[in-house]
Amino acid sequence: MELLEPTREAFRLLFSGDPSLWRIIFTSLNCSLIALLLIAPLSVALGFIIAKVEFPGRRALVVLVQALLSFPTVVVGLVIYMLLSRQGPLGFLKLLFTPEAMIIGYMVIALPVLVVFTLSAVQGADPRVYETGRSLGANRWRAALTTLFEVRFGVMAAIFNGFGRVVSEVGCSIMVGGNIAGLTRNIPTAIALETSKGEFAQGIALGFVLIVLALGVNIALSILQGEGGME
Amino acid sequence: MTVLVLELKSITKNFPQRELLRGVDLALNSGNSYVLTGDNGCGKTTLMRIIAGLEPADGGAMRFEGMEVDLDRYPEALRQRMTYVHQQPYLFHTSIAHNIAYGLKTRGVRRQQREKLIADAIAWAGVAHLRDVAPHKLSGGERQRVALARAKVLNSHLLLFDEPTANLDSEARRHAIDLIDELRGGDVTVLIACHDREIIDMPGMKRLRLASGRVAAV
Repeated sequence: MELLEPTREAFRLLFSGDPSLWRIIFTSLNCSLIALLLIAPLSVALGFIIAKVEFPGRRALVVLVQALLSFPTVVVGLVIYMLLSRQGPLGFLKLLFTPEAMIIGYMVIALPVLVVFTLSAVQGADPRVYETGRSLGANRWRAALTTLFEVRFGVMAAIFNGFGRVVSEVGCSIMVGGNIAGLTRNIPTAIALETSKGEFAQGIALGFVLIVLALGVNIALSILQGEGGME
Repeated sequence: MTVLVLELKSITKNFPQRELLRGVDLALNSGNSYVLTGDNGCGKTTLMRIIAGLEPADGGAMRFEGMEVDLDRYPEALRQRMTYVHQQPYLFHTSIAHNIAYGLKTRGVRRQQREKLIADAIAWAGVAHLRDVAPHKLSGGERQRVALARAKVLNSHLLLFDEPTANLDSEARRHAIDLIDELRGGDVTVLIACHDREIIDMPGMKRLRLASGRVAAV
């Protein structure tokens, strides 16, 4: 297979500002970031509550969330498809094959990642953090926020990992987004489509963007951890 | 006139296969300093944590400044009137100033007044030269001084110190003892759990001993 020419073409597409390519990148980033913005507060709160509050069924809930972590995204897509399809209970919303449907899917996929990482960060926090807040007069809410702030690098790692999971996700995107050009076609679905057509240039260009995103996220996280004095 | 700040009646606390507190009765008067001694593991820390609302008691009653305290639903307002300092204080990973400001913020102290109180507290604790050092890089003694400044600035009616000089070298211990001594007096009531002979022998210090799950004056 000739690789040099498609790679050269890939970089030409990227740096010439090819509108269809950049539209795909925008769709990916837009849907992923909105989904994270919407689901992060709930997930982080859930992670904190599961880590700190004793309640019946807590262990079972942890097992369930951990199981969701390895749930195939295509199955998540299938469930959301059935809910949003014309015959489904939420069909009246007419969301199937829209960016909004992809955002819903991404929220479901990101939730267990964020919950499990936050849970682990809070469980790893020094128990004196919350108690110190309380003994200095903070109410439960403020002491909880203080604890989350103390484990902020763990919470950020949760968010970055959630981003990594949704931005590279294919199955759910195709199921509920439909891979519609200019609307729901994102980086991973475009790579799958272009490669199946034998058009490698755009696939390589988009793959390069995904790698840069993954590297960028990890570098940003390690810089932040370094600034926080973490090893 | 003697004013009762804290009154405990028949406080009990059990752990699996262990009855730690078997009916603690305790009365602390305003402006007095008390030292609580007892063998390791006798329940001193647990008792202090129950008083501070960090751990529930299994039974008994508590009154604080005349107010009945529901030990199952510890009143939030009480947390603003007493301060507990851990044996190894935790400092938030922000800055010394932020650590001292924390309790003031929970009490709604305005920024301008807060700044002055923080500056005074930092000078009092002798940590002005460490102002820009990250709290997690401080030594044990420096952390203890910041924690004492953080407690002092709140003007709490009751200060609870858990082994404040444990694990400190001689110089840090000396500094901590001097600061604790300065905190005593006025309307502030101080309860210190420790084994440190110098604290136990401080002038005016009332001695209590926790043994067999009960507290007795010595």
